[in-house]
Amino acid sequence: MTASTLLRAPDAALVPPREVPVVPQARQATRPAPTTGTGTGTGTGVAVTLRGLSKSFDGHRVIEGLDLHIPAGQFVAIVGRSGCGKSTLLRLILGLEQPSSGRIDLENQGARSATKRIMFQEPRLLPWARVVDNVAVGLGGAGRRQERRERAAGVLSEVGLTDKAGNWPATLSGGQRQRVALARALVSRPGLLALDEPLGALDALTRIDMQDMIERIWRNQGFTAILVTHDVAEAAAMADRILVVEEGRVALDLTVDVPRPRRRGDPELARLEGRILDHLLKDRAPV
Amino acid sequence: MSRQSTFGSDILGRLTPWLVPVAIIAGWQAAASTGLVSTRFMPAPSDVIAAGWQASRTGELWSNLWISFLRAAVGFLIGGSIGFALGLANGLSQLSEKLTDTTLQMVRNIPHLSLIPLVILWFGIDEEAKLFLVAIGVFFPIYANTLHGIRSVDPQLVEMGRVYGMSPTTLFLRVVLPGALPSIFVGLRYALGIMWLTLIVAETISASSGLGYMAMQAREFMLVDVVVLAIVIYALLGKIADTLTRLLERSFLAWNPAYRNI
Repeated sequence: MTASTLLRAPDAALVPPREVPVVPQARQATRPAPTTGTGTGTGTGVAVTLRGLSKSFDGHRVIEGLDLHIPAGQFVAIVGRSGCGKSTLLRLILGLEQPSSGRIDLENQGARSATKRIMFQEPRLLPWARVVDNVAVGLGGAGRRQERRERAAGVLSEVGLTDKAGNWPATLSGGQRQRVALARALVSRPGLLALDEPLGALDALTRIDMQDMIERIWRNQGFTAILVTHDVAEAAAMADRILVVEEGRVALDLTVDVPRPRRRGDPELARLEGRILDHLLKDRAPV
Repeated sequence: MSRQSTFGSDILGRLTPWLVPVAIIAGWQAAASTGLVSTRFMPAPSDVIAAGWQASRTGELWSNLWISFLRAAVGFLIGGSIGFALGLANGLSQLSEKLTDTTLQMVRNIPHLSLIPLVILWFGIDEEAKLFLVAIGVFFPIYANTLHGIRSVDPQLVEMGRVYGMSPTTLFLRVVLPGALPSIFVGLRYALGIMWLTLIVAETISASSGLGYMAMQAREFMLVDVVVLAIVIYALLGKIADTLTRLLERSFLAWNPAYRNI
């Protein structure tokens, strides 16, 4: 009960400013977080606060009285077994589901935008729209066709797909499609990016490339990122903070104090992964 | 050199589908010329071409063809647009579907040509009779395939559209309709086939103009070559309709790997 009702203070937060040169020393996980709502104009991400959040489906409780604070700009990973309620939690935060009780507060003062975007496990691209038009879907109805295409093309270069702008999605590989989906999620410069196991269907090497790409873009742009995954190594490699969800509660809330860029196979990360896996597997029957 | 060989194989590839029809016609001409087949029952291809020349010179062929084409087009537009509209409505609205789908499925199982006696009683042998039959025949394939197309749109894409803030109109135009299009085209092809079939039967039984009428008149005077001419024209019309549909598919479904190479 103690861990699950833990309300995180923002001091553990890591809020990346936008124009940070990509050097390791500049990004210590321990550095104090700027407070949200300073209105500096550069903007950060959306801060998320959940109070007593519960969600039931047909009388079955999926989320139970959850309290949680995610400071603006933090990269949070939510891990847990299948059916632990982690995807439901994400959908609640995005407003795709309505809570049975409790509150969700999104604080976007000083955030770059109040827009929330999600990247699904599948790319979910429109097969009948060219890559650049698929990315432009992320802009909503705003802007003229030419302007939309230019913005879409700009984000496509960030994910390294400039030369595929005029292609049909059917001609892309799985990893490229997921990059288009990432560009579509980012083109509106969201304050909150939800990632619902977006790399689950990719092969191991493509996954690592994608993890690095998402981390790099997050560091440049400073949105709040919530990653749902069941890959503990992925969570440890990417996140500032890992929440282990069990039976609709936060069972573990860990800060990842490893500077970025992180090296795969770092002993500190391995220790953290081991701890989380031990926790997840603790009630497994002895072999 | 390699360029030339691809050019040659390209021509060969285009000609291949026509080898069998040309061989059949050549064999047919030979059989008729040598007297193997009596021209009383089966005229030689040259006779059919001569009959076609004759009929087109008098203008009889063109006026009948034009009338048949008008009937087909108007009947198709009426039946097709009603079928398309109902298919959309029932695919998008549960209320509309509950209200009408059961009825339509019951009516669908009636062969529409069995209505001919009734239609003659209602409309006589006027234009309405033909239009009515064509419209009914075209309605069901378009309706059923439009409905099926909308039902089979990927729900994950629809959810994506909603999450990304598409309005209902945008969602329909950018996600639902394009997703249903392959199935709608299947309906279109079926409908075009049924359109000709219905029209020919209707014109053969009760008409005072049109291709079917021309063939029936020719039968009365034992003009076998004109009868065969009418049949050949039906085949050509069917081929033209099919080619047009393919062209439409190729431009509208270019995104779909399954349609890229037809």
